[in-house]
Amino acid sequence: MNLDLDAADRAFQQEVRAFVATHLPAASREGLRRNTMMYAEPHVTGPWQEALRQKGWLVPLWPVEWGGTGWSALRRFIFETECAVAGAPMVHPMGVRLVGPVILRFGTQDQKQHFLPRILSSEDYWCQGFSEPGAGSDLASLNLRARADGDDYVLDGTKIWTSYAQHANRMFALVRTSTQGKKQEGISFLLLDMKSPGITVRPIITIGGDHEVNEVHFDNVRVPQANRIGAENAGWDCAKYLLEFERGAGIFSPRLRAQLKRVHLAVLASEGVGSWTDDYARRFGEVAADIDTFEWLELRTMGGLAPGANPGPVSSILKLRASRLKQAIGELGVDALGLDGVRWDHGDDGSPGDAATLVREYFNSRAYTIFGGAAEIQLGLIARTLGA
Amino acid sequence: MHLSLTEEQRLIQSSALDWLAAHCDFRQRAASLHRDGGAPSVWRGFAEMGWLALPLPEAAGGLGGGPVETGLVLQAMGRHLVVEPFRACVVQAGRLLALAGDASHQARWLPGLMDGTHRLALVHSEPGDRLPWQPRQTQARRAQGGWRLSGRKRMAVSAPGAAAWIVSARDPDGATQLFIVEPGATPGLQVDVFPTSDGGRAADIRFDDVAVAGAAQLGDPDAQALLHRVLAEGLLAHCWEATGAMQAVLEQTVAYTSQRRQFGQPLGAFQVVQHRLAEMAVHCAEAQAACEIAALRLARDPGCALDQASMAKSKAARAARFVAQEAVQLHGAMGVCEELPVASTFRHLQAFAGQGGDAASHATAYGRAMLASGDFATSRTLEAHDA
Repeated sequence: MNLDLDAADRAFQQEVRAFVATHLPAASREGLRRNTMMYAEPHVTGPWQEALRQKGWLVPLWPVEWGGTGWSALRRFIFETECAVAGAPMVHPMGVRLVGPVILRFGTQDQKQHFLPRILSSEDYWCQGFSEPGAGSDLASLNLRARADGDDYVLDGTKIWTSYAQHANRMFALVRTSTQGKKQEGISFLLLDMKSPGITVRPIITIGGDHEVNEVHFDNVRVPQANRIGAENAGWDCAKYLLEFERGAGIFSPRLRAQLKRVHLAVLASEGVGSWTDDYARRFGEVAADIDTFEWLELRTMGGLAPGANPGPVSSILKLRASRLKQAIGELGVDALGLDGVRWDHGDDGSPGDAATLVREYFNSRAYTIFGGAAEIQLGLIARTLGA
Repeated sequence: MHLSLTEEQRLIQSSALDWLAAHCDFRQRAASLHRDGGAPSVWRGFAEMGWLALPLPEAAGGLGGGPVETGLVLQAMGRHLVVEPFRACVVQAGRLLALAGDASHQARWLPGLMDGTHRLALVHSEPGDRLPWQPRQTQARRAQGGWRLSGRKRMAVSAPGAAAWIVSARDPDGATQLFIVEPGATPGLQVDVFPTSDGGRAADIRFDDVAVAGAAQLGDPDAQALLHRVLAEGLLAHCWEATGAMQAVLEQTVAYTSQRRQFGQPLGAFQVVQHRLAEMAVHCAEAQAACEIAALRLARDPGCALDQASMAKSKAARAARFVAQEAVQLHGAMGVCEELPVASTFRHLQAFAGQGGDAASHATAYGRAMLASGDFATSRTLEAHDA
C-alpha cells in the first residue's frame, strides 16, 4: 500500500484543477452554495454539464466510442474530488449515470443512437419512475400497469418521490406488464415522454421546504412498445443493472468534504459565533476523522474497479456511512448555529441565506438514510455477508 | 498509488496470524497474564519471527518495517489479545532508542532487545495527561556532570522487569530530555507495580532527585520532535492492535448468535440481532480504514504523525467502544463472565481506550488542528507530495 500518485496522474490532477478553476460557471458554483436539495436544479447543473460536454468529460463511465473518457477508476476519483472541492455541482445523474448505462447495456442500436446523444447534449432531462405508493423498499411489488394495445402500452397508476419530474421531459420507468409468476418476472423497463397526454405531476414539498420530488399520475397514457428497453417482463434485470452500476459510480467522499467546508463557512458567518468552543472542535474533529476514514474506504474500494463494475457487498457499508455522514455534518452545523439554526428565511431574491441553507439542507438530509435502499435494508445486506 | 497490501505485507500478515494461532490461543494466553514481560517462550518466539527487529530502522540493525508492516503484526496480536509488551517495548522504547540514541546507546541495548535477551520500557505518562504529547512535569536538572530527575510517572506499561527505561523529562530551559535509566542500578526510585486490566503489568514511579549519568542522555539538545513522533507511532500501533481484537470479537459474536437458540430459533435469526452485528461490522471496517490511511499518510510524511495519530485514535476508540459493548450484550450472560474470550476482549479494548489519550481529547486536538490549518477542505490522501 502507498499513496504515491505517479507523474501522469499528478499531471491529470493539475489539468482537472486548472480546468475547473477556469470553466466552472459562477452560476453553477453559486447555485450549489445555495442548494439545499439532493440534486441541484437544472439551471445550476446545466451550465456546468455543458462545460464538461465541450471538454469531453461529461460521461467518464461510458465507452469511449459513445463519448467516454477511458479513465482509470483512480482518475475518476481524482476528477470527482477536484470538482467537488472546487464547489462544482454534481452532474445530474438520471441520464448520465442511470438510464444511459442501461441503454448502453440493453438498448437496441436505434435506441442508443436516438437517446445517448440527447443525454450528452442535455436535450433530454430524465427523471426516474421506480417507487410507487405501495412499492418503496420492496420495489418489486410495483404495480403501475402497462397493457399492450397495438404498437403501444397503455399505462395506469402512480409513481412517487420522482425527483425533478417538474423539469424532466423524459422518464425511465419500471411498469407491470404481467401479474403471472414471481413479481420480479412481470416488470418491464420503459422510456416515456413526460408530455404524453394523461400524465399529471403533483408537487410534494419536502421537510426542508423544497419542491424536489413529485407524485406522477398515469391515466391511460400511451407509450410506444418500441420505447421498451430489453424484452417484455425482463425489466427487473435492467433495474438491477442500473442499481449495481450506480453503486459502482457514486463517489461520495468529495461531496461530504465540500459539505463540511460549506457548513463551517456558514457557522463562521453566523452572527455570534466568533470562535470555536472545545465542543465544536471535538465534534468537528470527529466528523473530519470520519470523512478521512470514509474517503480511504471508498477510494480503496472504488479505485480498483473497472467502469460499470460493482464493488459488491461493501457498497452497502459505503451507502450507509455516506448517508449517515451527510446527516452528521448537517447536525454539526445546526447545533453550532444555535439560535440561527431556527431560521427559515428567504432573502430578497427568494433564496435562503447561509444559515437557512444549512438548516434546510440538514432537514432534507434525513432522506439520505431512507432513499436508494434504506439504512435498515443496507444493514440486512451487511448482516447477510457476515453469515448471520 | 497502490491500494492493496504488497506481497511482502501479505506475507508478514499471514505469518503473524499463523504463528499466533499456533502459540497464543486463548488457553495458552493464561500463562502470560500479569507476568513481567508475559511468557518467556512467547517472547523468544517473537524474536525468532523477527518481530522484535521489524519496527527498528535498518541503520540500527533492524528490519526497517514501516507503520503498515508494524500495524499488521499488532493487528494479529490484537486478535489473540496478546499481553506480551511488544508495542511498549519495541515500537515505543526500542524505536525511540534507535532514533534518539547514539552509537554506544544502540550497541549497548539494541542487540539484546532484538534477540529477546532484555526488554526496554518507555516511562513517560504523568498524572493529568490528556494527550501524550503534553509538556512533561518531570524535571531534569544538570548536576555534577550528570543529571538529577524529580517527578512522578504513571502507568508505565511493561516497566516492571525491563532492563532499562527511557524516561522523559523537561530541563530548566523547557527542552525535552530523554534518559536511559537502569532501575536495578539506580538508587532513589520509588516503584509501585500493579496488574493492568488487559492482563499486563505496569508501574507508577516516583523520581525523588534521582542521579543519572551524563552518558545516559539521549537526543541532545532537544528530543521533543523525536519523542512526539514515536509516541504518535505507538498510538497508531495501538489502534491497529485494537482493530484485531474488534474483528475477532465480531467473528466470535456472529458464531455465538448463530449457535445460541432461544424462542425456537438462533439469536442471529432475529432482525434486531442481525442489524446490531452489521453495525459492529461497519465499525470494524471503519477502524481498519482509519488505521490504514493514518499509517499511509505517516509513512509518506512523518510531519503529520500527531494529527494522524489523533485522527486514528478518535475513530478507533469510538469504534472499539461500540464493538466491545455490543459483543458483550449479544453474548448475553456469557459476555459478562470468564468462560469465553469476550470479557477479556472487552477489558483489552477498554484499556486501549484509556491509554495514550481518550477519544474525545484526540477528536478535539484533531478538530483544532484542522480548523487552524483549513486542511479539512481538501483531500490530503490525494494531494501530491514531493518525496
